[in-house]
Amino acid sequence: MKLNLISTAILFSLIMVGCSSNDTTTDQLTGSGSISIKYDNGYNGNDLIIGAANSANSNGENLTITRLSYIVSNFRLVNSTGEEYVFPKDESYFVISQEADLDNVVLPEIPAGEYTTLKFGVGVDQEKYLQGAEGQGDFLALAESHHMMWSWQAGYKFLNFEGSFTSEIVTDDTEFKIHMGSHGSSLDNYKEVTLALQTNVRVSDEMDSSIHLKIDAAKILVSSNNIQLTEKSVIMVDEVKSPQIAVNVTEMFEVDHIHNGDGHN
Amino acid sequence: MINALQNTKLLSTTICVFLVFQMLWAKPDAFKDSNPCIHSYHLEDFFDFCDTCGCGSSGGSMGYGTGLNNYFIGVRYIGQQYRSRDGIFNDSPWITENFNTMQVWGNVPITKRAILNVIVPYQQHNRVLPDQTEQKINGLGDISVLAFYDLLKRTPDSIISITPEHYFQIGAGVKAPTGKYDRANNTGSVNPSFQVGNGSWDYIAAMNYGFTYRNWGISTLLNYTFKTENPKQYQFGNQLNYGINAFKTYYISDLALTPILGIAGEHFEANKEYGAAVPNTKGSVFLGKVSLEASYNRIALGLAGMVPISQQLNNNKVELKHRLSVYVNINL
Repeated sequence: MKLNLISTAILFSLIMVGCSSNDTTTDQLTGSGSISIKYDNGYNGNDLIIGAANSANSNGENLTITRLSYIVSNFRLVNSTGEEYVFPKDESYFVISQEADLDNVVLPEIPAGEYTTLKFGVGVDQEKYLQGAEGQGDFLALAESHHMMWSWQAGYKFLNFEGSFTSEIVTDDTEFKIHMGSHGSSLDNYKEVTLALQTNVRVSDEMDSSIHLKIDAAKILVSSNNIQLTEKSVIMVDEVKSPQIAVNVTEMFEVDHIHNGDGHN
Repeated sequence: MINALQNTKLLSTTICVFLVFQMLWAKPDAFKDSNPCIHSYHLEDFFDFCDTCGCGSSGGSMGYGTGLNNYFIGVRYIGQQYRSRDGIFNDSPWITENFNTMQVWGNVPITKRAILNVIVPYQQHNRVLPDQTEQKINGLGDISVLAFYDLLKRTPDSIISITPEHYFQIGAGVKAPTGKYDRANNTGSVNPSFQVGNGSWDYIAAMNYGFTYRNWGISTLLNYTFKTENPKQYQFGNQLNYGINAFKTYYISDLALTPILGIAGEHFEANKEYGAAVPNTKGSVFLGKVSLEASYNRIALGLAGMVPISQQLNNNKVELKHRLSVYVNINL
């Protein structure tokens, strides 16, 4: 019996060996890595599916969405010490398009560190627009091919939201079109979004990470401002409703989760 | 004397098993890291994700023992079915996941009052993704070793006793990161627990209490697993398991039949990554259990089914459907 006890003791010490030093390595994040931002489009908590009917919103309107595209730009990341990293402006314009499966923004060569806040713009800012057609680089063609331009003079559509709807009053399936943008330089609807990350996003030579955003497209109509399609179903150049929609759009983004390391989508 | 001999035999078997483990852990190229514990003994570059289901293979609320016999060695199968959301939306599709665990398990006497409990799991999991591709993973799971001490011990053949016979055991042990993490399993955003191991050394405190009176009995279990950070700086949440079972044994000549009814629960703390809590990772599940053990001489055959009564796992993104367990033991 004594022998057994001793053997057991030896066995346990074998297992436990080395496990005592559970040092929490405050690892240095060095170099740079990429951060990708996934724009996962949804509608009122459900997945947004092109051509599928959605549940009624609080205005009693049932929307079937055939297009949801928007421009995101001017990406910035604030690190844990409060410093802001500005992603190179010329490469900082992207189209998110449900129909074209464009839902991922990849920002390469972000300096290593821990970031607490993501900032970006919706649309194209005046500074960029005033650089003229040549100053837009490849982005002009990209925006055009995804129906995000009126004309060069009229400018970019920041949001292109289309489909059909019914409501208590409008019982026949009726087309809706919401094209929101800056209309040249007379009406500036470019807006910025600041999202605090519930988990810091980390990036380094060894670590590419991703931020998974959950988008609620229902907020385009119903958020700080209440837009009734029943009242007006085609909103393009509207000095009252366009700015209201621009504000609503900034409220549709929410951080769902962060994936640190080995960025998944 | 015979008993002592037997014990020695069993012990040497156990030693052999351990030596094999030690060899498995000692993968040469893993020694480059300075941390002797976490880095040296890993089979592979496994990391994170294994919160609630897949790798909690050792005992959980199914127990480290049968609650009926103190000493045994045997094999146990645990089949678990979960479903989890493939996506972040309320209507994201469900995916069915099957976690199959084959265990060699034993409660081996070391002294008159000390017991060594060893569980060596082999995992075989599968799931079908929304695009109809099937994913399968298998391999050695996380091995756990516990030592129990009988503070109160039943006298043998307590069935003839006319007063209740109580038993009370306390135990402690470790769960080793012998199960492998495969990065490829983690593509997409489906249940991240689809792994065969969680990558960390975990520490377990456990206790069992019960009593038998004539052919009736009650058994209870309570255990807590302290989970540590794994090499990828992911830490699974600590886990509390509890259970209570009531049983009655019927004797039909040499055959003993014991139907068991019970309830069990599991509670998980939030996982941590780089020291920060990961959202949607804590949860709990409360289960009902129906089980039957048949024993003939020293052979015991057990069947158990568990279904959730209530649950809240991973913010309802993961749901346990049922658990099934079958074991064949040789009672010592």
